[in-house]
Amino acid sequence: MDCDAFRDDMLDVLYGEGGEAAVRRLEAHQAGCADCRREMAALRRLRGDLAEWRLPPPLQAETAHAAGRPFPIGLALAAGLLLALGAGLAIAGAEVRYDAHGFTARLGRASDNGAAQAASERRHQEEEMAALRAEVMATRSRESQKLLASVGAMIRESESRQESARAASVRELQERSDAQRRYDLARVSAGLAYVDGRAGLQAARTTELVGHLLQASQQR
Amino acid sequence: MSLGSNQTLGLRLSSYSDGIMPPSDEELVAAFQSGDIAAFDVLVQRWDRRIQGVIFRLVGHHDEARDLSQEAFLKAYRALGTFKSESRFSSWLYQIAINATRDRLRRRRRRPDVSLEDMEEGAPESLRDGRPSALDLIESSDLSRLVARAMAALPDEQREVVILKEYQGLTFPEIAEALDVPLSTVKTRLYRGLGQLRLRLERQGIRGTAVVPVPSA
Repeated sequence: MDCDAFRDDMLDVLYGEGGEAAVRRLEAHQAGCADCRREMAALRRLRGDLAEWRLPPPLQAETAHAAGRPFPIGLALAAGLLLALGAGLAIAGAEVRYDAHGFTARLGRASDNGAAQAASERRHQEEEMAALRAEVMATRSRESQKLLASVGAMIRESESRQESARAASVRELQERSDAQRRYDLARVSAGLAYVDGRAGLQAARTTELVGHLLQASQQR
Repeated sequence: MSLGSNQTLGLRLSSYSDGIMPPSDEELVAAFQSGDIAAFDVLVQRWDRRIQGVIFRLVGHHDEARDLSQEAFLKAYRALGTFKSESRFSSWLYQIAINATRDRLRRRRRRPDVSLEDMEEGAPESLRDGRPSALDLIESSDLSRLVARAMAALPDEQREVVILKEYQGLTFPEIAEALDVPLSTVKTRLYRGLGQLRLRLERQGIRGTAVVPVPSA
């Protein structure tokens, strides 16, 4: 049985990406293939083991913090819904009370006095909602500014690093150029000395030869 | 380059803050490309920790992960103006981060330096007399550490796929996009990587893997 042909389906099903068709194909194959059944079970257990590899505490904390950042939006949403519900009930003149007679809830207006109280409560709730909205906006602004400052610092740090690297490269190039020049000068100097030496030797030999010739001619 | 344009901060994005749903990555990219630098802040805020997480699992050092994450976001910042929306922003960002990590790992291998942290965590037995100490025995019961070691022993290309799949929860097409390889390659690498991990954990006597034969692929 060609189990390799079901490998893609196995991975798709393992990670929940396969859809019904892949699940059915794999189940049909595994119904008659004990090896693939065992392998699938082992891969599931392996995934359980892999899940034990935790990030270190600093990253965990930061991840949790990061995950918590959208919270003000959720808070605003939840608070808004609650306040809207409360305001709606207040407008409708609903009353919820717990006293010596126990828990009492009433929908609808009881009296003018109740209406005035409801209006007061509504104002109070609107004020709370406005305060909450302002707090959320202030938090968002602070976070954005902090983040912008952080990115700005990152960029400045990077530019500083690049500047240092550039300066180091220029310095290195200059040093290499100087070294090359010194080396070239030394070679030229050595070449001249060699030429000088060769010329001097030749002159000495010529002088010696002329001396011999003069000596020979004098002897004759 | 300067990010001192505080005037723009929150002005264009204020249209998002009025709504309940946060803007999508694509909306933020479009806002940034229209000149709203503050949109990038939101992208950093949204993705920084996830990128740090994947890099940490690849390089094994928290400080290095933070450093590489910064590097990746700087590259993203500089290139985002020309980013084409044909691919997902997240895949593109993962690609930048993984490439930066690969470069770092290559440099590290060319110039190996064993830190104290490496000596304590990496190969404690080989640096002493070959016998596990009491500390090693305690550590050996730490499944998290064993999984980390097994993961570190995988070839880079397999480790990248396993990490993106297991710990980042990317879909197969997203991984293919992030790594710029065919879908079939992603699945092959993942399958082989999982097989290697099973084998290594089985050698360590980990419960979940002891009875199942390793796949032949």
